Amino acid sequence: MLPLLGAALSGLLAFLAGIFEDSESNAGSASNPNSQVQLAPQIGHRHRYFNKAISGEPPANALWVTTAATVAVLLSVRLEAMGTLYSVILSSVIGALVSALLLGLYGILAHISRIASMRTFRQPLYWDAIFSALPLGISFGFLTAFSLTLLSFTAGMMLNNPFSVPLIALLLGITIGSIGSATGDIHYGAERLYQHYMFGSGIPIAKQGDIDIKGEYGYRNSVDTPYFTLRFGAMVTAFAFGLLIFLDSLSRVFDFAGVWTSVIVELGIILIIFIVTVRLEKYTRDKYGPFMR
Amino acid sequence: MEPVTAFFAIILGGVLVGICVHFIPASATGAMSAATGIATGPSMLSAGAGMAGLLSASYSIDSGLSVVLASGATASALMVALTILSGNIANAFGTGVPPASGQTASGQSITGKSTKDAISGWDQKPYISPGTDGHGMPVQTNFSGLIGAFIGGTGGALVLFAVYTLLVPILRQDAAFTISGFIAGGVFLINCVLPAYTLVGKTEGMFDQKIRKTPKTLVSCFIVSSVIAMIIYIAAVVIQ
Repeated sequence: MLPLLGAALSGLLAFLAGIFEDSESNAGSASNPNSQVQLAPQIGHRHRYFNKAISGEPPANALWVTTAATVAVLLSVRLEAMGTLYSVILSSVIGALVSALLLGLYGILAHISRIASMRTFRQPLYWDAIFSALPLGISFGFLTAFSLTLLSFTAGMMLNNPFSVPLIALLLGITIGSIGSATGDIHYGAERLYQHYMFGSGIPIAKQGDIDIKGEYGYRNSVDTPYFTLRFGAMVTAFAFGLLIFLDSLSRVFDFAGVWTSVIVELGIILIIFIVTVRLEKYTRDKYGPFMR
Repeated sequence: MEPVTAFFAIILGGVLVGICVHFIPASATGAMSAATGIATGPSMLSAGAGMAGLLSASYSIDSGLSVVLASGATASALMVALTILSGNIANAFGTGVPPASGQTASGQSITGKSTKDAISGWDQKPYISPGTDGHGMPVQTNFSGLIGAFIGGTGGALVLFAVYTLLVPILRQDAAFTISGFIAGGVFLINCVLPAYTLVGKTEGMFDQKIRKTPKTLVSCFIVSSVIAMIIYIAAVVIQ
């Protein structure tokens, strides 16, 4: 019963972490589409997007989550008298707070440096662009770190993963970063930043940097971005990461082939996903048809 | 596993990780639906898949080498399969484009001048948005990504098991295991980044012309992994 409960809880936490991670990266233009935000002033678009790309999304998330998990592990030992559950939750909150502060510090310095490097192209540093978007990014960062720290504790304590909790957090941080950067970012990079282009086309390479800088109310800023991407991009990220953690945990709940059970179950799941992906490609080809030039 | 075997296993694992990056289709401009492949750098995506593999392999460390390798490989492949499915969902319903291979459409893939997908046989050329190098992950890149993930996951798990074998006689079991995890993660990250110099930020996997550059990666990964294996071997076996 405990492994099944652990698998369900892991899946839920991973799903939530996926939503928060994608929203955090979109609020801060932290991943691949940041190149478009960075290009915009060079082709004459002065924007109010927050741009805090410091590194790839995977190492950045690994840093936030490992920081939170390390602080949480140290604190949970001190708070052991409160009982395991309460000590884990409280120490995870404090750990995530520390990592959110770190994210805020990096975020503000990275944004100012990024914008300062665009001085040649007369891109101003808008204070409102910092002070409206940064707290949102920090909040999503806090929630990501909190969810993943709890997920690391769940993997370590309920699913009996032999790695230490900070190492589980590091591995999960890199994995969620690469999934978030590979899935949810398409909705932000190809659709939100280019909303003035027709739906149903990739963005021509010659048009890159020509991002949409006007929003529903005046100039668009990075608070508007998660408002848009939460409806689809964040859900796709959550679907991928949540399902990965849930299915991987679930594959160890069964036992019909001894130690090979999880491998056989995962191979079956991979085959099903491959077939679904091929069917999806066929569906889109039939539905959209060849590109109308 | 004998210490000398473990030494060579670390090198082999590192080289397998380097090879896997050539098979996993990825491109940063995929985030604008402007290039075929998963929408992030090949190195970072492979790292994510490898870490998922390590995490899964860790559960079966006491079940023997073959189970550890299989667990690492299948979990990495599961991560890539889900990422490809989700990326295609984002392209299909977020951007409104079907998956299409840019290199195949221009007749420059490794299969020759054919503009059809090597596995499904579906024509790629009419489905490309003008001015882009394709979008999404068609069947041939999906298949290549899965093979790459199997190779990378096996490599990462092999390093984990080999380092654990070297460290467990001299450290407490949980300490040996966690340090092995950190080292395996580190070896994976280093060998993931090295192919970036030959792939230059974009590959469509095993049907891309860049697959011909794999020997260059092999040499660099072999050198780097040998140095790491030597350091670990000296620390664990020679100095006691």
